[in-house]
Amino acid sequence: MRRNRSPLAPSPLQVGLSYLALGLASLFVLFPLYWLLITSFKLPIDVNSGPFYLPWLDFKPSLHAWEYVLGTLGPDVRRAYANTAVVALSSALLALFLGASAAYALTRFQYRPRVGAVVLFVACLGFVVLMAALGVPWQVAVGLGLAVFILGLQTLGRRFRRHLSNDDIALWLISNRILPPVVVVIPIYLLFQQLGLLDTRTALVISYTVINVPIAVWLMRDYFQNIPPDIEECAQIDGASRYRIFWTIVLPLAAPGLVATFLLLLVFAWNEYLLALFLSKANSQTMPLMVAAMSGTRGTEWWYMSVIIILMILPVVLLALVLERYIERGLIVGAVKG
Amino acid sequence: MGERVQSKQAEAVPRREGVWVRLVAWLERQAPAFFLLPTVLVILAFVLFPLVGSLYSSLSRLRFSDGGLELSFVGLANYRKVLLGSEQVHFLGQPGATGWVVGVMGLLVLGVGLVVYRRYRAGRPVWVWLGQPLLGGLLLLGFAWLFLSRLWPGTHMGTLQTTLFYVLVGTALQYLLGLGLALLCAERLPGTRFFRVLFILPLAITPIGVAYMFRMLTDTGKGPLVPLWEALGLGGFSWVNDPWGARLAVLIGDVWQWTPFAFIVLLAALQSVPQEQVEAAAVDGASRWQIFRHIIFPYLLPASATLVLIRLIEGFKIVDLPNILTNGGPGTATESITLHAYFAWRTLDIGTAAALGFLLLLLVSLATSLYAAWVLPRARGQV
Amino acid sequence: MITKSLRWWTFLALVLSFSLAQQGRFQGVSINVLTFTGPQIAEPLRRHAAAFERATGARVNVTVVPFSDLYQQILTDATTGTNSYDAWIFAPQWMADFAPAGIMEDLTARVRADTAIQWNDIAPFFREFSAMYGGKILTIPLDGDFQVVYYRTDVLRQLGLQPPRTWDEYLNIAQRAHGRDMNGDGRPDFGSCIAKKRNAQSYWMFMSILGGYVQSQGTRQGAFFDTRNMQPLVKNQAFAEALRVYRETTRFGPPDELNLDVGDTRGLFTSGRCALSIDWGDIGPLSIDPQTSKVKDLVGAVILPGSRRVLDRNTGNLVSCTPQLCPHAINGVNHAPYAAFGGWSGGINAKASAPKKDAAYALFSYMSQPAQANKDVTIGITGFNPYRISQFRDIQNWVAAGFSEAGARNYLGAIQQSLNSPNMVLDLRIPKAQQYQQVVLDRVLSEYLAGQLTIAQAQEQIHNGWEEITNAEGRQKQLQAYLASLGIGAR
Repeated sequence: MRRNRSPLAPSPLQVGLSYLALGLASLFVLFPLYWLLITSFKLPIDVNSGPFYLPWLDFKPSLHAWEYVLGTLGPDVRRAYANTAVVALSSALLALFLGASAAYALTRFQYRPRVGAVVLFVACLGFVVLMAALGVPWQVAVGLGLAVFILGLQTLGRRFRRHLSNDDIALWLISNRILPPVVVVIPIYLLFQQLGLLDTRTALVISYTVINVPIAVWLMRDYFQNIPPDIEECAQIDGASRYRIFWTIVLPLAAPGLVATFLLLLVFAWNEYLLALFLSKANSQTMPLMVAAMSGTRGTEWWYMSVIIILMILPVVLLALVLERYIERGLIVGAVKG
Repeated sequence: MGERVQSKQAEAVPRREGVWVRLVAWLERQAPAFFLLPTVLVILAFVLFPLVGSLYSSLSRLRFSDGGLELSFVGLANYRKVLLGSEQVHFLGQPGATGWVVGVMGLLVLGVGLVVYRRYRAGRPVWVWLGQPLLGGLLLLGFAWLFLSRLWPGTHMGTLQTTLFYVLVGTALQYLLGLGLALLCAERLPGTRFFRVLFILPLAITPIGVAYMFRMLTDTGKGPLVPLWEALGLGGFSWVNDPWGARLAVLIGDVWQWTPFAFIVLLAALQSVPQEQVEAAAVDGASRWQIFRHIIFPYLLPASATLVLIRLIEGFKIVDLPNILTNGGPGTATESITLHAYFAWRTLDIGTAAALGFLLLLLVSLATSLYAAWVLPRARGQV
Repeated sequence: MITKSLRWWTFLALVLSFSLAQQGRFQGVSINVLTFTGPQIAEPLRRHAAAFERATGARVNVTVVPFSDLYQQILTDATTGTNSYDAWIFAPQWMADFAPAGIMEDLTARVRADTAIQWNDIAPFFREFSAMYGGKILTIPLDGDFQVVYYRTDVLRQLGLQPPRTWDEYLNIAQRAHGRDMNGDGRPDFGSCIAKKRNAQSYWMFMSILGGYVQSQGTRQGAFFDTRNMQPLVKNQAFAEALRVYRETTRFGPPDELNLDVGDTRGLFTSGRCALSIDWGDIGPLSIDPQTSKVKDLVGAVILPGSRRVLDRNTGNLVSCTPQLCPHAINGVNHAPYAAFGGWSGGINAKASAPKKDAAYALFSYMSQPAQANKDVTIGITGFNPYRISQFRDIQNWVAAGFSEAGARNYLGAIQQSLNSPNMVLDLRIPKAQQYQQVVLDRVLSEYLAGQLTIAQAQEQIHNGWEEITNAEGRQKQLQAYLASLGIGAR
C-alpha cells in the first residue's frame, strides 16, 4: 500500500524535518505562555526570588492570584470581560461586512472618480467643518456644503480629466491607519464627547470598526481576486442580482478568507488599548485596561496580570478552535468544481 | 461622490415595467455605489475631524489657563524643534562621518545610474525616468543614508532609525517565519490542526500583555533564562543594558506577536492554490522548490504584498513593546517614533506629539506610495 | 454611680444623635471618584467608601485607570468640560498644572470648619506645603511620601559597618556587600538596588542623591532652580558629583538595574537580594508581609545620606560645610530628605455640584481622620505611608500590624527625622513640571547611565532642555510659580 503514495507525499526524512521545525516553533510560542501560566500560580516571593520552573517541585503553587482576580476584582473583571466580548464581536462583524462588500466592489467594478471631484469634495467637507466650528448650525452647514459641491461638480468638475483608480481608493483606505492613535486620541475624545457617547460600548464599536475596516478591505480583496469570475457571470445571466451573487455565491466561496479575516479583526478589537483607555470610564472598560492596570506604583503585579492575560486568551483560543476548520483546504476548489 | 462608475459586465437585467422591477433594476445599476459607499462614508465621518484636529494641534502649544485648556498657535515651532532644535538628535540621531557609509552610498548611486543607463540603452526614453522613479530613487537613497550613517559605533541612532530597524527587520522576519509555518501547516501531516491553533495564539494576547510577558522573560535577575545565561558565561550581562541587545529583545517580542498574522493570512491564501496543478507538476518530476517557486508562490503574491504593506504600516506604529519592555532605554536606544510622541504626549506636550505623528505620517506615506508604485502592481501581476 | 451612668447615657445620646444626623446626610447624592488601579489606594478607597455609604446614604462610584494615565485622564476630563469625575485621588505634584487650569475646588473653608479631620495632627510639611497651592488648601493628604535609604541590618552587622550617613559611605557599603549571598540560596546578591528604569522613578532617585549636595539652607532655598533668576542648578560641581555617585551605584547593582522600576527593586529587596535600596516608605510594611518577604525584622531605614561638602551657589563649586553654610547639618553632614512625589491626596472638581462637593469632601475627611488613617498606614496593601503626628507616636499600632517594636521605631524614626528636617527638598511643582522632569531630566539621566553621554554632556543637555521650557513658558511666570511652590511670596 505504501508504494501507492502520491508523488507529493513527503519522505520520512522530510516528515521528520517538518515536525522538528514545527516543534521548535511550538517551543518558541509555548514557552512564554507556559511561564505566564505558572506565574499565575506563584506567590510574589516565588516570582521575585529567582526563576522557578516546576510547580510542586520548585515552588508551592498558590491560588491567591486567581482568588484575588476572580473574587475581589470579580465584578470589575466580569464587566470588562462582557464589554470586551460585545465590543470585539460586534465591531469585527461590522468591519467584516463593510470591508467584504467594499473589497468585492473594488475587485468587480471599475471606479473612476475624477481627481477634481475628489478635491472638490474634500474642500467642501473642510468648508462644512469650518462653518460648524464657527458656530453655524450643522444642518445649515451640511446643506450649504452639499449645494456648493453639486454646483461645483456641474461647472468646475467637468474640466478635470484625470481619474483615480480602484487601487488609489484602496490605498486611501489603508492610509487612514498610518497616523499613530496617540496623535489623534484627543480629537477623537472630543468627537465622541460631542456625540454624547463617551463611556459607552457604542463609541468603542464605532471606532474599532472604523480603524479595522481598511484591513478587512485589503485582506478580502485578495481572496476575492482569486475567485474566478465565471461562476458569477453564469449566475448573472441566470438573472441573479449583484447582491444575491455576493451573498450566496461569493461569500461562501471566500469562506477561508472570511474566517481568517474575522479572526484577525476580532483580535485587533479584542486587544486594543489606547482608544479604550480614552473613550471608556467605568462602564465600558475593557480587558486590556485591566492588564495594564496590574502595573501600579507598587510595581507590576505579575501574578495578577498573568491571570488576566490567561483569561483574555481563553475565548480566542476556543473561537480559533471552532473556526479553524473553515480555513481548510479544498473548500474553494471543491466548490468551484461542484 | 460624483464618481462615474461602470460595471465590468454589461447590464444584464432586462427592462420591464412596474415600480418594483424598476426599483430592482435601479438598485442593480447602483450596486457599485452601494457596495463601496458605506465604507467610504463611515471612514470619512470618523477620520476627517481627528485628522484636521491633530494637524492643528501640531501647529500649536497647549497651555492651561483658568477654566480649561488653551491652544495657542505657534506656526511650525514644533516641527522646527523636532527637526532642527533640541529634539533633533533624539529624533534623527547623530551621524558619524565614516568612510564606509560614503562607500555604500556611492555604490547605491552607481546602481541606480546603471539601471537608468540600461533603460536608456534599451531604447526607453530617459525623461520618463526623471519623474516618479527618480524621485523615488532619491527618496530611497535618502532613507538609506539616514539609516546607514547612524549604524556605526560612536554614532547615535535617533527614534527614526530605531523605528526603521524594527519595521524592516521585523517585517522581513515575520513574513519569512509566517510563510514557513504556513507551508508546513498546509502539508497534510497529522496534528497540523493543533499547530494551526497554536500558532495563532500569540495574536490573542493584547500587545501590552505581550510586552509585560517579555519583560518577565528577559529579566536577568529572576527570569527563566537566567541559568542559560549563566551557563553561557553571560551572568553579569544584561541585554537590556546594551543598545543592540535591547533592540533585539524588542524585535523578538514583535516577531513573536506578529508572525501569526503573516501565518494566518498566508495559510488562508494557500487554500486558493489549485491542487491539481501542484500534483500535475509533481507527476512531471518538478522538485519541491520548483513547485513552490513557480506554482504556489505566484498564488501567494497578492496576499503577501498586502500583508507586507499592512505590517509596514502597523510596524511604524510600534509602541507598547519598547514602552513596557525597556521604556525606550537604555538611553533612547529602543525608542520608536510613536513612543517618542507618546512620551511628549504624556506630559501634555501635545504639539510636539502631533508634529512627530505627522512627520511619521509623511514618512510612511512616502514609503507606502513607493511600495504601491513599484511592488504592488508587480505582485498583483498587473505589470 | 449615678453621675457615671448619666455620663454614659449622655455620651450614647450624643453618639446616636450624631449618627442619626449623619444617616442620610447625603441621601441620593452620587459621586464619581477617580484614582488608579491597584490594590493600593483603590483598596482603602473602596473599603472606606462602603462604610461611608452606609453611614451617610451617599453613593460612591470608584473608577480606576492605570497609574501612568491618571494625570492625562484627569486633565482631559476636566478641561474639556466633560466632568465625569467629581473628585480624584492623585499626586499633589500635579497641582501646578491642575490649579492654574481652575479645575480644583478651594477646600480652605471646609478644612477650617472641620474638627473631625484634626488638621493640626497632619505633619506640618504635608498640611503647609503638600496640600496647599497659592495660599489655598486644595487637597486632603491621605498618604506621606518621601524617600529614605533601606539597609539590611544583618548584612551590615556581618560587615561591621554603620548605616550610611553620606553617599560615599553608601557606596562603600554597597561595594563591600556586593556579591555576597544574602538570602541563603547560594547565589551572589547585590550591594545596591535602585530603580533606574527610564520613564519610571529614576529621576526621583537621582534627586534624592543630589539634594544633600545642592540644598543646605533649608527648604526655601530650593534644589532645582536658582531662586533669583530661574537658572537651572545643573552646571555645577554638586550636580556633577551626584551624577558620578548615581553611576557608581550601578556597579554594585543587579545586571539589569537600568531596566528596573521601583516594583522590581522592592521585589528584589524583600526577597533578600539587596543590601541597600532607596525607596519611599513602602518597603517597611512590605518587609513584614509573609507573602512577599524573606527579610522580616532584618530591615533598617535611615534618613537619606548627605554630604560634608555642599554647593556654593555663587561659584558653582563644592565647598566644605561650615555652620553658616550648613545650618541644619548633623555631625557635619548636610542631609536634604526629598519629598518625592508628595503623597497621594484627594482633590475635588471645582465644576461638581455643591452637594457632590460636600459629599466628596466628607469622604476624604473620613478617610484622613486618625480612626481610619492610622490603621491604613500600617497595612502594606493600602500604599499609604505615615503622614500624621499621631501615627508616629503610636508604636503599638505598628506592632499590632506585625512589626517588631525595634523595627517600628527604626522605620518611623527614619521617616520622622526626614519629615522634621527643616532642609527637606520639595518636589518640583511648577507648570510643565512633568516636562522638566520626565521629558528632559529622565531621558538625559537614562542616556548618561547607558554611557551615551559624559557628565559634562549630560549637564549641558539638562541645562539647555530646562532653559528651553522656561523660555517658552516665560521666565518670570515660571520663577513666580517656583517661588510660590517654595512658599515664598505667597505668604
